[in-house]
Amino acid sequence: MNWHVVVDNMPILAKGALLTLELTAGAVAIGVVIGLFMALARLSKHKVVRAGAIAYIDFFRGTPLLVQIFLVYFGIPMLLKWQTMPDNYQYTAGILAMGLNSGAYIAEIFRAGIQSIDRGQSEAARSLGMTQAQALRYVILPQAFKRTIPPLGNEFIALLKDSSLLSIIAIQELFYTGKIIVGRTYQPLPMYMAVALYYLVMTQLIAQWVAYMERRLGKNDLR
Amino acid sequence: MIFVKNLHKSFGKLEVLKGIDCHVHEKEVVVVIGPSGSGKSTFLRCLNKLEEPTSGEIIVDGIPLNSEVNVNAIRREVGMVFQRFNLFPHMTAIQNIVLAPEVVRKTNKEEARKIGLELLAKVGLYDKADEYPDRLSGGQQQRVAIARALAMKPKIMLFDETTSALDPEMVGEVLAVMKDLAREGMTMVVVTHEMGFAREVGDRVIFMDEGIIMEEGEPNEVFANPKNPRTKVFLSKIL
Ligand SMILES: Nc1ncnc2c1ncn2[C@@H]1O[C@H](COP(=O)(O)OP(=O)(O)OP(=O)(O)O)[C@@H](O)[C@H]1O
Ligand SMILES: [Mg+2]
Repeated sequence: MNWHVVVDNMPILAKGALLTLELTAGAVAIGVVIGLFMALARLSKHKVVRAGAIAYIDFFRGTPLLVQIFLVYFGIPMLLKWQTMPDNYQYTAGILAMGLNSGAYIAEIFRAGIQSIDRGQSEAARSLGMTQAQALRYVILPQAFKRTIPPLGNEFIALLKDSSLLSIIAIQELFYTGKIIVGRTYQPLPMYMAVALYYLVMTQLIAQWVAYMERRLGKNDLR
Repeated sequence: MIFVKNLHKSFGKLEVLKGIDCHVHEKEVVVVIGPSGSGKSTFLRCLNKLEEPTSGEIIVDGIPLNSEVNVNAIRREVGMVFQRFNLFPHMTAIQNIVLAPEVVRKTNKEEARKIGLELLAKVGLYDKADEYPDRLSGGQQQRVAIARALAMKPKIMLFDETTSALDPEMVGEVLAVMKDLAREGMTMVVVTHEMGFAREVGDRVIFMDEGIIMEEGEPNEVFANPKNPRTKVFLSKIL
């Protein structure tokens, strides 16, 4: 085994890892926004709104992310009747596909968090004349959010790992970068070990950050 | 102040309220008693629309509570205190109190805080303003909950077994606050098992059983000479 290959290519891998982080961060941002709306829609008293949210969640949780990536990547140009794909379009499509996907999972995380808050809390808020939206904003969501941090952390970690699927649309994230180098150097074992190590470091960082947030907010969890 | 006519409420097939007629005057303190499951909480919750009545008429402070009415407008005028306090655990005592005035009444921050501190002083908890609920005893939490409801300057206060979840030594401090309120002329509907309270500050007592008002009258009169046999049985159990 040729470990020099790994050492020589560390900086290029680091570049791929950085892109992986950026893609994940973009997807998380989209996913959290979609997740919040879908969770609220899922809990709506209007049947149609609820059904829409359920359909969305079921679709994105019940079909492979890989297929969703292709659907978005090829679907948008077809729907918008583009003749050629704009530069860097694959990044937009990749982040969007992952964001749409994680939105479904995050919706379920938020829903569980909201439902875990005692009904007396919203009744107290409502009895004070607050609207449903005010009760959510000031009373329910702040409490629910704390409880969603651990599952959200898990979702972010899963998303970071799944971002390796974006290599399929030629996004040069960590896994894709590793694959290219292997093609050039014929050193799959050390290279993929290095790739794995990079993923591990990143997922560990997220896990640590989540644990820190949990401790920080957890202090007033009983409150 | 509160006018209720032929109020019915069912949960699915279970009919909980079977035609309640009742009239609460301004500054009156009405005490509601009755066995568990008789519909006392449901009745109270209909008065601020936490429950939607199945049928019947409710008029609160001149506003009919039909489905068109803006429920938030009603709830601003009707304060409610719950058996299990329901303080917001992520907020300090004073934050619990100022929240609704700030977001619902749009009172400015300093003004809301000033009113909040006055109310905390009134319930004897001025020095606990910045404590979180989990650092307060049950009695203290319930007094904060009363202050929180009062901060909206309601015209009517509803109390649902506000002392039942408390250790016996804390019941007195909460009842004392409620008595003060009654003396100041607050219109109150109080569900309680505290017969001493009913005697002392109640203008009228209503005995509910199986979803109807079985008997009502002046507290001492009802306690001394209950006319309805069910009232007799109930009172003999708790007095
Ligand atoms: N949301 C609900 N859904 C279904 N049934 C309910 C609901 N709320 C109350 N009930 C039922 O209605 C009946 C009356 O309940 P309610 O809480 O009004 O009684 P209560 O007189 O307050 O009793 P307690 O003294 O135990 O508080 C009970 O049989 C209860 O199980
Ligand atoms: Mg009750």
